[in-house]
Amino acid sequence: MANQMVISVMSKDRPGIISDVTGVIYSLNGNLADLKQSVLSGYFTMILIAAFEEEITSDELAEKISSVKSVTGLEVVVKDFDGSVNPEPASDQNGIYVITAQGINQTGLVARIGKLCFEYGVNILDFDTVLSEGRYSMILYVDLSGTESVEDIYSAVDHFGEETGLNVVMQHSDIFKATSEIELV
Amino acid sequence: MKSKDILATIDMIQKEHLDVRTVTMGINIMDCRGKDVQETCSLVEGKIISVAGSFVETCNEVSKTYGIPVVNKRISITPIVHVGAGYNRRDFVELAKALDRAATAVGVDILGGFSAQVEKGITRTDSEYIASLPEAIACTDKVCASINIATTKKGINMDALKLVGQTVKDLAEATKENDGFGAAKFVVFCNQPGDNPFMAGAIHGLEEADTVLNVGVSGPGVIARALERLISSNDPGNLHIDDLAEEIKQTTFRVTRCGELIGRRVSEKLGIGFGVVDLSLAPTPTVGDSVGEIFQILGVDDVGAPGSTAILAMLNDAVKKGGVFASKNVGGLSGAFIPVMEDAVLAEAVEKEALCLEKLEAMTTVCSVGLDMIPIPGSVDADTISAIIADEMALGMVNQKTTAARLIPVPGKEAGDYVSFGGLFGASPIMPVRNAGKSQRFINWGGRIPAPIHSFRN
Repeated sequence: MANQMVISVMSKDRPGIISDVTGVIYSLNGNLADLKQSVLSGYFTMILIAAFEEEITSDELAEKISSVKSVTGLEVVVKDFDGSVNPEPASDQNGIYVITAQGINQTGLVARIGKLCFEYGVNILDFDTVLSEGRYSMILYVDLSGTESVEDIYSAVDHFGEETGLNVVMQHSDIFKATSEIELV
Repeated sequence: MKSKDILATIDMIQKEHLDVRTVTMGINIMDCRGKDVQETCSLVEGKIISVAGSFVETCNEVSKTYGIPVVNKRISITPIVHVGAGYNRRDFVELAKALDRAATAVGVDILGGFSAQVEKGITRTDSEYIASLPEAIACTDKVCASINIATTKKGINMDALKLVGQTVKDLAEATKENDGFGAAKFVVFCNQPGDNPFMAGAIHGLEEADTVLNVGVSGPGVIARALERLISSNDPGNLHIDDLAEEIKQTTFRVTRCGELIGRRVSEKLGIGFGVVDLSLAPTPTVGDSVGEIFQILGVDDVGAPGSTAILAMLNDAVKKGGVFASKNVGGLSGAFIPVMEDAVLAEAVEKEALCLEKLEAMTTVCSVGLDMIPIPGSVDADTISAIIADEMALGMVNQKTTAARLIPVPGKEAGDYVSFGGLFGASPIMPVRNAGKSQRFINWGGRIPAPIHSFRN
């Protein structure tokens, strides 16, 4: 049975980070199963899952990756991973909605909407913020399949909009697929 | 999905008037014939209420889920003359009242299909139906009427043409306290489609299934804003007309997809078949939701200036190309509407005398649906109205396309006077009709203009 690890790397962005990190994994005969990377305000972050045939502990792997010579320094966390790399989606797509909130930026917005989602059992699948032309936008992919009442969430989202003065809407994600993707939904 | 695509869709809905203009449920009422007119009325009313009872509620529910407004919920029925065969004009008025009651009971905005198809000949029933129109429309709120008097395959029925000119006058006269509003609920067609969701000309064609859902998309505001963005983000000289056509195509794709999604979901929830998406760009009198504005963005200072017909040809084609790819089945009218009263920029062009009836007629050769929502002086005689309609029918007949005429001779008002019906029906100055009173001998021939030859097309 392969030894699976989940690896998280953070660094000031520069060319070559992916090459450095995956080079270490390759040198250990590791097989890369999944990877996601993102850059935010000049900082690079990456999460990846790799499987190793050879015996290696999470601490040893973290040390090897951290020892990569890097002008920026790599912050590395490694954990043992015993899940499935490509699990079936937790919910059927009918429960996937998008909440968008737009308006003037103010402190605590993300914390407040995060709290709202938690209180109503709404699972946030993805969260993105965009600041453009002075307008702050939060875009949340949420899974409502575990919630008791979609109506209650509509009300809570409306209330959040009134409280914050933001323009907040919740729409089923299919409308965005319909307008942006070639495939019929 | 990218965040910028999500935000672009939100902007289209909130700032650019993206909506679904209409979801129209077509209902076959051929099985509603009773032993007398009272029983027929009751069967028709009962069937509509039973089939469409939860229609409006379902549309609202789906609209909320996807965050897209559905502006109108409508019903179309089998052309009424079929279920009313053998009835007299009083009976048809009773049927209109029953339809009005049913439309009110289920909460739809409007109901179409108080209609007949007489392109080749007129039956006694058809004559009684036509005679009933002024009263039937005047005494109801939600009933719309239409009549098909010409097709490419059968020619133009000139006897019917003579009758409809007078009917338009009578409809306006019967509703003169509302500036002849009754005439706005009656449309005369060539090549009328059986799956058009737009009013006043929606019918549930005889070729259709028992119940079907058709959707009309909107979107002139969305297209206007997309074009403005493209133009402002490019240096002058970098952009050509084909770039603008491409932008219209892509924007129409998004607009059509919204209609397709809403229509499909409402159909699924109601358990009825989904028919077509009608790709027409339908304006409303709201500022920023105008087809006329697109002409100005594309380069003519006023609609009606030379170049307007070419612009409309390009616009209409680009809308179809974008829409056809976005939808499984398209149908209905599918083109750009230029209804004068319903489009603030067109109405303004009339006021400036930039747009005249003749130019509108030329423009209708390259778009659907025809001379639409045009207020003319109440003094224009019935034969002249018939003759204007004849010209529009000839365009449709020869070019194998749907054309229509919805003229409103406003009682007691003359060219330049202002008329307003409010809401989606809009407002405009009254358009002058040149050469009125000169076509009487032509209209009085009666008979039929033979169908055009289908080869040697030039």
